[in-house]
Parts: sequence; structure tokens; C-alpha cells
Amino acid sequence: MKISYKNILTILISAIFIGMIYNSLNPKGIPIIKEKKELVFENDSLIHSLENKKENLNLDSTLNAPIVNTTTEKKADEKTEVPNQNNPPNKIEPFSEPKAIKIDLAYKLFKQGVKFIDARMPDEYQAGHIKGAYNIPFDGDERYREILNNFSKDEILVVYCSGTDCDLSIYLGREIFEKGFKRVYIFFGGWNEWLEKNYPIDRGTNAE
Amino acid sequence: MRNKFLEYFLLLARIFLGFIFIYAGAGKISDPASFSQSIQNYRLFPLEIINIFAIIIPWIEVICGLLLFFGISVKENSLIISSLLFVFTLAVAISMLRGLNFDCGCFGKPSPIGWQKLGENSLMMLLGIILIIYDSKLLNLTSKNENN
Repeated sequence: MKISYKNILTILISAIFIGMIYNSLNPKGIPIIKEKKELVFENDSLIHSLENKKENLNLDSTLNAPIVNTTTEKKADEKTEVPNQNNPPNKIEPFSEPKAIKIDLAYKLFKQGVKFIDARMPDEYQAGHIKGAYNIPFDGDERYREILNNFSKDEILVVYCSGTDCDLSIYLGREIFEKGFKRVYIFFGGWNEWLEKNYPIDRGTNAE
Repeated sequence: MRNKFLEYFLLLARIFLGFIFIYAGAGKISDPASFSQSIQNYRLFPLEIINIFAIIIPWIEVICGLLLFFGISVKENSLIISSLLFVFTLAVAISMLRGLNFDCGCFGKPSPIGWQKLGENSLMMLLGIILIIYDSKLLNLTSKNENN
């Protein structure tokens, strides 16, 4: 018996038909044309919540001048913060998607001791990376992702790659977000901008 | 009358391939967004057509798998499945050459791309080609009608 191309066509057309209908009825269905997701940039209100967060965590007060208050002012601030206890300042609300940030905010987060993740390949990472950053190469070995098991899902994570032209940080950021880390930032300027600003860097392999 | 051993081998091959594709397709149908992301990971196709693949390919897999399982249009379904496997294998091979390393998106559970995946796919493709050549008449739903 010869191959019936009519049958093949029937099978394929049925699959297209059923697939399309099922997808339109399925609540988990996806748009027929995948949209290029636009990055949402974090607004400045975060900076204020970060200031509060820093005080609560009692980290080194190395932030810029307007943020460093005198102790009396701090106390006053804390008093005014009391009515807002529903939204504890040391907890940033979970995001609905990873948010993009620019260098100024990235640096502020860096000063807070927030964990940075380098999405570039290990050789690029070893040649130089943001001080203290962990390497999870998006296109690299799956084992690098095991570092994530040591992180708390409530932690703020900042993902970056080489700069505004690369998309590794966006992919990795979304992947990590899907894994349940709901406070993921994508540092848009990336390594190049960090280097330009002469912010702290390091060389070599993963710290851990 | 063909060799009985060959007939049983073809039946087993048919059921095996059919089952694998029903299983793989059903996993993808239940989570189209993940499958769409998997296709995107290969970075081989433009963004605009990825979701169309993600919507249709799982259904081709399930339908061909079911028909193969029951022995309906074995040659045709084997041809479709082998073509799919050829494309999948090619995609995995290209990704390996490019040094990419990610979950292949083959089944519901994570399985990274690599030599093992290439081997599995090639083996299934071989079974598919054997079925295209020899067909499988044993225990199928249409053979009785044809014999009469």
C-alpha cells in the first residue's frame, strides 16, 4: 500500500483545527502570535521603600547623603511609618513580572547587600563581574542553577548581563521569576554601565 | 503471509512510538506556555510563529500517536512522526553545536539536550522509518475491512 498524502493532509489539518479551537477555549491558552514583552521599569517610589528597608536591616549606612539621616530624624521617620504596618517596609511586594531597573537603582540595591546574578557565560563572568555577584549563565550548564536553592524566594534578586543589547538577563530573570522568586529585577544597563561608573567589581569564579 | 516475528516487532514499535507521542503531546497541551518558552529557548524561529508551533505541534503528536497506537494509517502517521523527530533532532543538534544548554521541552519533565537526547530521537526515528517501509497490520482497527 502506498502512502496516502491525502491522509497526511487530513491528519495535519485536523491537528491545526483542534489545536486552534482547544487553545481558544483553554483558560491557559496562549496568544496565537507571541507578543514581545516590554520591560516594565521600576518607578522611583521603590527608592523610598529601600531607604526604610536599609534602616530595618541595619546595614552599613553608605547610601547617598539625602538618605542618611540623623538618629533623631530616623526616630521621627519610624514613628510616621507606624500606621503603614500593613505594608512592612522591609518587604517589597511581590511583582507580577520581573521589573527592569537602571544603574542608579541597581547601585542602591547593591549597597543594600542584595544578591546579584550574572547571566553571562562563565568565561565572561571570570574576566570581571559585579562584586559579590553569582554566576548563572543562562545558556550554560544546568548545574549553575543549583545556587538558587540556597536563596530564599522572598529575597530580592538582581539579574544582569553585558548591557542594554543583551537579552540573557531578561530570559534568566523571567525564568527565575517563574521558579517562584517574586522579587526579581533586571538591571538593564548591565556590566558595561557598571564598569563605566567604576562601581565595585571582582574577578574569578563564583564566591561559593 | 509475512514473518510473524516481524509483525510482532512492528506492532511493538507502533505501540511504543504511539504511546511516547501521546504522552509527550499531552504534557505539552496541558502547559502550552512552557512549551512555547521551550521553543523560544532554541532561538531558531522568529517570535511571531513560536506560539503557532506551540499550539499545533502537541496536537499533531497526540493525534498521530493515537492513530499509530490503534494501527490506523500507520505509514502516514509514521511519516509525520518521523518528520517531526527529524526536525526535533536537528534542533537539538544545532543547539549542541552552538553550545546552548537548556531543557529540551520534549516531555513534561525536564530533560536537558545532549547526546542522550540525540540517541533517543534517532532511535525513535529509525522505528518510524521501519514502520513507513513495512507498515503494521497486526491488531489494527482497519485491517479486517481491507482483508475482506
